[in-house]
Amino acid sequence: MVQTFRKKKVEIVVEASRARAIIDMIEAAGAKGYTTIPNVSGRGNRGTRDEAHLSDVFGNVMIIVVAAEKIASMILEQSQGLLENYAGIVMVSDVEVIRDEHF
Amino acid sequence: MDTLFQLAAGNLLSPMVLFFGLGVVAGFLRSDLAIPEAISKGLSLYLMLAIGFKGGGELASNGVSGAVAVALGLALALSFGLPLIAYALLRAATRLDTPNAAAVAAHYGSVSIVTFVAATGFLGYRSIPFEGYVVAMLALMETPAIVTGLLLARRAVAAGSTAPRSAPFFSREVAREVFLSGGVVLLGGSFAIGWITGDKGMVVMAPAIVDPFKAVLAVFLLDMGLLVGRRLHDFGAVGWPLVAFGIYMPLIGALIGLLAAHAIHLSLGGMTLVAVLAASASYIVVPAAMRLSLPQANPAIYVPLSLAVTFPFNLIVGIPLYYAVAQWITAL
Repeated sequence: MVQTFRKKKVEIVVEASRARAIIDMIEAAGAKGYTTIPNVSGRGNRGTRDEAHLSDVFGNVMIIVVAAEKIASMILEQSQGLLENYAGIVMVSDVEVIRDEHF
Repeated sequence: MDTLFQLAAGNLLSPMVLFFGLGVVAGFLRSDLAIPEAISKGLSLYLMLAIGFKGGGELASNGVSGAVAVALGLALALSFGLPLIAYALLRAATRLDTPNAAAVAAHYGSVSIVTFVAATGFLGYRSIPFEGYVVAMLALMETPAIVTGLLLARRAVAAGSTAPRSAPFFSREVAREVFLSGGVVLLGGSFAIGWITGDKGMVVMAPAIVDPFKAVLAVFLLDMGLLVGRRLHDFGAVGWPLVAFGIYMPLIGALIGLLAAHAIHLSLGGMTLVAVLAASASYIVVPAAMRLSLPQANPAIYVPLSLAVTFPFNLIVGIPLYYAVAQWITAL
């Protein structure tokens, strides 16, 4: 059996124009990396968000970070302020990873 | 001289407006007709390149004079000034709060490149020439309105409200979005290349950028129609007083543009285009800048207003109307 390590996974769906600020915050919090999925669409309290055609105003990006608990809770805390006035969903879950040194 | 009715009917039955209409209907009915994003982006880049290059080439063959500097100064003044009028009207006639009114006002000082391109198509059908440097006015008018809009919003924040002021006024991110947006770079760059290469450059580029131009414009407007048609479902957030603003503000802007263009002795074609610039509202660059700098303002208000009200109005009614009034003013 491969050895696994417990981490937190933070997933943030955010308005494309705010993605840069969120990513800068994630890096500043000390996460060693992140994954982004551009052009994600869906429906929420800001209506349907699926338009990435003219500008990114109605487009969303998903950002996934896996990190140690301390860093993850710092990210959660700081997302709060950064998402004021913006479309955004923040989720956190327990995950197990291999290759501990990557996180 | 054509009557206003003949102009309007001629415009309405042009392929560009009919394709736009087809797009609006298909989008509104939620047809699965769609132009792939990469192709639509490619078409819009083509149009910017063509319009920039032709403007630069025109400037090279007619030479730079003092009139150019005056026209560029006018462009800046219009873009800085129009949002002040728009803001005053919005505060008086609609229930928008300060950030939303400031954001909408910024859109109406800035310009819609597609409306401008459609107006050059309209003039092209009638073989009406225009001054090449009007294209440079187009490029200059995109940004100043954003500054005015942000100042209007900021002034109100300073006067009360608890909104944090930590965000820089015109951040590097906004500057990049505004000055280095693909469209602006290509338009300015093609204008410079057209100017440098002059008539010889035109000989090389003409087969690609002159003859196919109107047909490509018609296809692009089909795509714009699809976007507008889908946005027509979003009118809930907009409301009638604002829809009315989306129609009378371009008329006010166009009138100011026509008088100013007449005062600096532009030709009939140039006057029509300056009117279109002053009448049109941005729906690409300004929304992106507003999301970054004024997030309290709601994009579900300003995007449908400029994209689904003012853009079709200018395309269908505005362009022939401004042209007719320009004819009338020059005949005085």
